[in-house]
Amino acid sequence: MIEIKNVGISFGGLRALDDVSFSVGKNEVVGLIGPNGAGKTTMMNIICGLYQPSDGSIHFEGTQITGMTSDKICKLGVSRTYQIPQPFYAMTALASVVTSVLNGKKRTNMSLGDAGLEASYYLEFVGLFSKRDELASNLNLYELRMLELARALATTPKLLLLDEAMAGLNPVESERALEMIWSAQEQFGITILWIEHVMKIIMKAAQRIVVLQYGKKIAEGPPEQIVKDPHIIEAYLGGKH
Amino acid sequence: MVSVDLKRDRVLLRWGTQKYEWCIEPRYWRNPTFGVAFLLILPLFFFSYPHLLTMLTTANLLAALAIPLSLQILGTARVNFGPQFYLGIGGYTAALLNLSFGWNPFFTLLGTIFVCGSVALMLSPITWIARGLYFSLITLILPLAFLDLTYQFGDIFRGEVGLFGMSPLFDLGRVKWNYLSYYYLSLFLMLLYLLGAHKITKSRFGVSLAAINENENVARMMGINVSFYKVIYYVVPSILTGIVGWFIVHTFRSFAGVTYLPLEFMLKVLFIVIIGGRASVFGAVPGAYAVSIIEEALRSFGHISHWVFPLVLVAMIYLLPRGEGLWGLYKKRHPRDYYPKMHVRRE
Repeated sequence: MIEIKNVGISFGGLRALDDVSFSVGKNEVVGLIGPNGAGKTTMMNIICGLYQPSDGSIHFEGTQITGMTSDKICKLGVSRTYQIPQPFYAMTALASVVTSVLNGKKRTNMSLGDAGLEASYYLEFVGLFSKRDELASNLNLYELRMLELARALATTPKLLLLDEAMAGLNPVESERALEMIWSAQEQFGITILWIEHVMKIIMKAAQRIVVLQYGKKIAEGPPEQIVKDPHIIEAYLGGKH
Repeated sequence: MVSVDLKRDRVLLRWGTQKYEWCIEPRYWRNPTFGVAFLLILPLFFFSYPHLLTMLTTANLLAALAIPLSLQILGTARVNFGPQFYLGIGGYTAALLNLSFGWNPFFTLLGTIFVCGSVALMLSPITWIARGLYFSLITLILPLAFLDLTYQFGDIFRGEVGLFGMSPLFDLGRVKWNYLSYYYLSLFLMLLYLLGAHKITKSRFGVSLAAINENENVARMMGINVSFYKVIYYVVPSILTGIVGWFIVHTFRSFAGVTYLPLEFMLKVLFIVIIGGRASVFGAVPGAYAVSIIEEALRSFGHISHWVFPLVLVAMIYLLPRGEGLWGLYKKRHPRDYYPKMHVRRE
């Protein structure tokens, strides 16, 4: 579905990503892990079109998306959530999702009322229907994460990029969120590229893991293989361990 | 066939199978019809006072300037500190076309729309490249630079004296009637802007507009073509502002950049936006009337308004810190509650 070939980017003298290549197949859940500053979020920003890579290319369903603007990439079917939730604080939950419905994938003859109905479906899906008229500034972290998920799903993505969806959630909320993401993948038939620091969750959720360190890919494989890889243990815990 | 039923809080009118109802409970008297009716009746009390009629006409025109500005603030997510730049361009275009080429007001209107649209389109990339303070500074300088041009090319723009003697929109023969007709025309223009801006903010485009205003990057990631929206919301309000200039030219029949282009005039428009309610299209009306009335009341005290307006502003910020202004106070709701509530019927 998405193929990342030799992608690299520099910020001044810092090489944030260097020659990173991997691909994600249809309906796959791929985890992207690595220590802080490994370049995971930068990779996500490049896929979304927020940053332009200095070298390499990205193909989404055969179309080259390098150099495209974020809105065009979104319309092709790539959507994302954020590490730190970025809701529209002064808008109601329903209005936020309506924005996604109206601007995501092109739907013909979609009126504001229709969009409201469709948005309410996504809100119901993530369990926020009762909070539809609440301003995002009144929602708690779990609800904000769910709102972001609803907003991302409402653009009808084929590829969903999750950026630390579990950060700041307690174990019960994490389990609920995981269930939600699984059921979204099942119901909407989406592919997920997932950055996560909570290893327990990502090892359970992902079918394949890509590991980055200092902007380079150091390993790729199924979770059970990754946890045993001495390079990754070294990257996470240091050489002593 | 027709029956009228008076309930505690509403009047029901039945006509055949049709049913109409009007809420009459005072706490729901927020129907814009009341406001419009008030503004329609208002000048009849001031018929014998032309200076007060002119004040009301000016209030309408100031509101007609503040409404597109509010729309522009929302759509570009940036505060334009020089909305009067397009007022100047529109005014001078209309005046020069009328005086030099003898075009009638209809054709000068078309010329104004074309010139303002072209200039705004040429300048619209500043909404992409300039943010925050830079955008404010650029927009602040534009009208001042234009004012300088009117002095530099005094033989065309006639500097401080300005242009005068343009043909009126129409002439009713009597001065008082003309004042009254200009009030109603300005009211019509302002209400047209208000209705258009309200329709936009409540439409699907308004929701996208709100998203851009909240966070451009996130809006872009949600599929909104932010650059396109910004150009549209820079160009269209600029044209609307230019049309106000055209209106001034053909009603007051004189136009001088020195009246409309300096900082004082810009401050007045920004005061309206802040007093009425930041980025609220309806707030422009009470804001414009408040500013015009304060200005008229203090006219005899000379330049005291330069002190009074900042004091009013500080009081507004202190008393209504969320920036909701007079309109927010009236609505008693969060000022940027963009989307109507969705209720589930449980019958």
